[in-house]
Amino acid sequence: MGEEGTEGTVHLLCLAASSGVPLFCRSSRGGAPARQQLPFSVIGSLNGVHMFGQNLEVQLSSARTEDTTVVWKSFHDSITLIVLSSEEGTSELRLERLLQMVFGAMVLLVGLEELTNISNVERLKKELRACYRLIDSFLGDSELIGDLTQCVDCVVPPEGSLFQESLSGFAEAAGTAFASLLVSGRVVTATESWWRLGTPEAVLLPWLVGSLPPQAARDYPVYLPHGSPTVPHRLLTLTLLPGLELCLLCGPRPPLSQLDPQLLDRWWQPSLDSLRACLPLGPRALPAGFPLHPDILGLLLLHLELKRCLFTVEPSGDKDPSPEQRRCLLRSFYTLVTAMHFPPEPGQQEEKVEDTAQRAQVPRACYLVSGTEEPGTGWRLVALQLGPRRLLLLLSAQSPCHGLRSLATRTLQALTPLF
Amino acid sequence: MARPPAPGSVIVPDWHESAEGKECLTCILRKNRRRVFGLLERPVLPPAVAIDTASYKIFVSGKSGVGKTALVAKLAGLEVPVAHHETTGIQTTVVFWPAKLQVSERVVMFRFEFWDCGESALKKFDHMLPACKEKTDAFLFLFSFTDRASFEDLPGQLTRIAGEAPGVVRIVVGSKFDQYMHTDVPERDLTAFRQTWELPLLRVKSVPGRRLADGRTLDGRAGLADIAHVLNALAEHLWHQDQVAAGLIPNPAENAPG
Repeated sequence: MGEEGTEGTVHLLCLAASSGVPLFCRSSRGGAPARQQLPFSVIGSLNGVHMFGQNLEVQLSSARTEDTTVVWKSFHDSITLIVLSSEEGTSELRLERLLQMVFGAMVLLVGLEELTNISNVERLKKELRACYRLIDSFLGDSELIGDLTQCVDCVVPPEGSLFQESLSGFAEAAGTAFASLLVSGRVVTATESWWRLGTPEAVLLPWLVGSLPPQAARDYPVYLPHGSPTVPHRLLTLTLLPGLELCLLCGPRPPLSQLDPQLLDRWWQPSLDSLRACLPLGPRALPAGFPLHPDILGLLLLHLELKRCLFTVEPSGDKDPSPEQRRCLLRSFYTLVTAMHFPPEPGQQEEKVEDTAQRAQVPRACYLVSGTEEPGTGWRLVALQLGPRRLLLLLSAQSPCHGLRSLATRTLQALTPLF
Repeated sequence: MARPPAPGSVIVPDWHESAEGKECLTCILRKNRRRVFGLLERPVLPPAVAIDTASYKIFVSGKSGVGKTALVAKLAGLEVPVAHHETTGIQTTVVFWPAKLQVSERVVMFRFEFWDCGESALKKFDHMLPACKEKTDAFLFLFSFTDRASFEDLPGQLTRIAGEAPGVVRIVVGSKFDQYMHTDVPERDLTAFRQTWELPLLRVKSVPGRRLADGRTLDGRAGLADIAHVLNALAEHLWHQDQVAAGLIPNPAENAPG
C-alpha cells in the first residue's frame, strides 16, 4: 500500500431513476471534500449503461477499470446511486456499504416518501442539501468505522454503570425510552431501547450527531430508515460538555425547553468528573490504563451479534504510521477478511467471492504483512474470530509473525469482559 | 413592549475594552479562543468577583438564507459555515457575556440562549414555531442588506411571529452589512421603517473574523470586539425589560404592538 493511497478520488452521484436527472454529486480527494465534478456526459453514460442493463433485466452492480471501481445501486426504483472510487485498496464491499449508508442518510433527513414519490425534482434537490454534510463525512477520512462495519461505534467508559443509572433516570424524566450518551459520535452508554434500534439508524444517528457543528441543543426531525421511514421522530441532543452529547429519540413530547439546565444539573452534575473522564475516549475508545501490548498500533473489535464495534488507532500514537494511514490499513484489512475469508456477518446478504461449498473450512484467524517484502519490515495485520467477536489488530514491524495469533488471542481475552 | 432604552443608558458601552472588562472577558476565552461551554458548565470567575447570571431565551427569526445560523455562529465565536444550507430543525447556542450596569456599576453575567430554526422545518413541522416562541424573552428579526425581499418580509414576520407576544423585546438586525456597497436596502427605507415600528436596529457584518497566528483558529478577542455592540444591545434591552416588568422603572409610554 503506497503513499498515493491517500490521494484517491471518490465521486458519488445521485440520480432520479426514472428521469435520469442528477439530484446531487459529492466528491472527495485524499479524504477531504472536493469541488471537482464529473462532466455531465460521464454522469449520463454511467447512468445510461446501468439503465440499459435494467431494461434487459440485467442487474449491473459493479465494474472495474485499471484504477477505479464503480458500483451502482437502485433504491425503491426511484433513486439511483453511483459511486466511483480510485482510492487504494477500495473494494465492491466497501462501496456497496457506502451506498447503503448514503441512502440511509437521505431517508434519515428527508424521509422515504419524498424519495419514492418525486413530484418536484427541484424541491427534492433543495431538501437533499441538508444531507450533504453527513454524506461528505462518509466520503472523507473519518475516525469512525461504522459506515463500513455497519456496527455502532462505541467506547468503553471508565465507570459505565453510573452513567447507565443517570441515563435511564433522565430518559424516564424526559418521557422517552430511547436515550444515549455520545462522545464525538461514539456511544458511551445507551438505554436498552436505544440498543434495539435497527440498522442503519443505530449507526446513522450517532454519526449524524458527530458530524454536526457544535450546538448547545438540537431538536431535529429524523426519519428512521428501518423503523419509521415515513413518520418523523424527534432527535433531541443536549451538549453536556463540548464533545459529549446526550441524545433522546422521542415523539411530540417533551418540548426541548423542558430539558432545561436545571433538569440536566439534577441528573448529571453529580457525575461531572466521570463525564469529563470520558472526553479523551473520543479517539482512544478504551479507558486510560487499559493494558495493551506496546506493539499494537491500531485495534478494531467487533461484536457481530450486538452489532457494536470498538475502533482506535491511539495506542503508541507517537510512532509511524500516521493515524490516517493506520485507519486506512485497518479499513482495507477489514474489507479483505470480510469479503474473502470470514463467514458472512449475520444479516448480510452480500455474495461471497468464494464458493459457498468451501464453507466447511471456516478460517478463524489470518494475518497479513503490509509493505516491503524484506524480512522484519512491514506492518503486521492479524484477524481473529472467536464466537460473536472478531478482532483485527495493526502491529508494528517488530512484532514477530509467529507470535501474532497468541498476541491477538490474549488481547481478545482481555477485551471480552468489557465488550 | 416598553419604550426601548437609549443606547448606552443601561449598559456601560465600552466596558469590555477597559482593563477591568478585559480581565473579566478572560473567563469566556481559552488560549485566545472563545471557550465553548457545555450545558453543565458556566464561566468561572475568581471568588472575589462572584457575579449574578441573568439568563434569556432569544428566538432568531428571518427569511431563509438571510444568515440566522451564521449570525449565531459569529456571536458564539464559532466558524461561520461557508456554504448555505437550510437548518434541519431547531438548534440552540449559548453565549455568555459579562457586562457592567450603568446605574449600580455592578457586573452581570448575561447568558443568552439563541434559538435558531430553518424556515422550511418551521413550515413543515407544526411543533417548531410554538417551541421557539414559548417563553422567549426576545425576538431578533433578521434581514439581509443584499436581499430586498427579506427586508420587505419584516412587517409580516413581526406580526406573524411576535404579534401575540407584546411584552417581549424585539430587535431588528441587518446582516451582510459588509456588502453595503451592493445594498438592496437604502438608508431612507430603513429610516421609514424605524419611524413606523420604533424598534432598535443593529447592523452586523458577515465576514469571517480575524484568525490567530496559526492562520486557522479564530481570534477570540478580535471576534468579541466585532460583536460586542450586538451583545451589549441585547443585554441592555433585556435588562431594561426586566426592570420595567418588575416595576423598578416607570413605563410611561406604553406602545401598542403593531
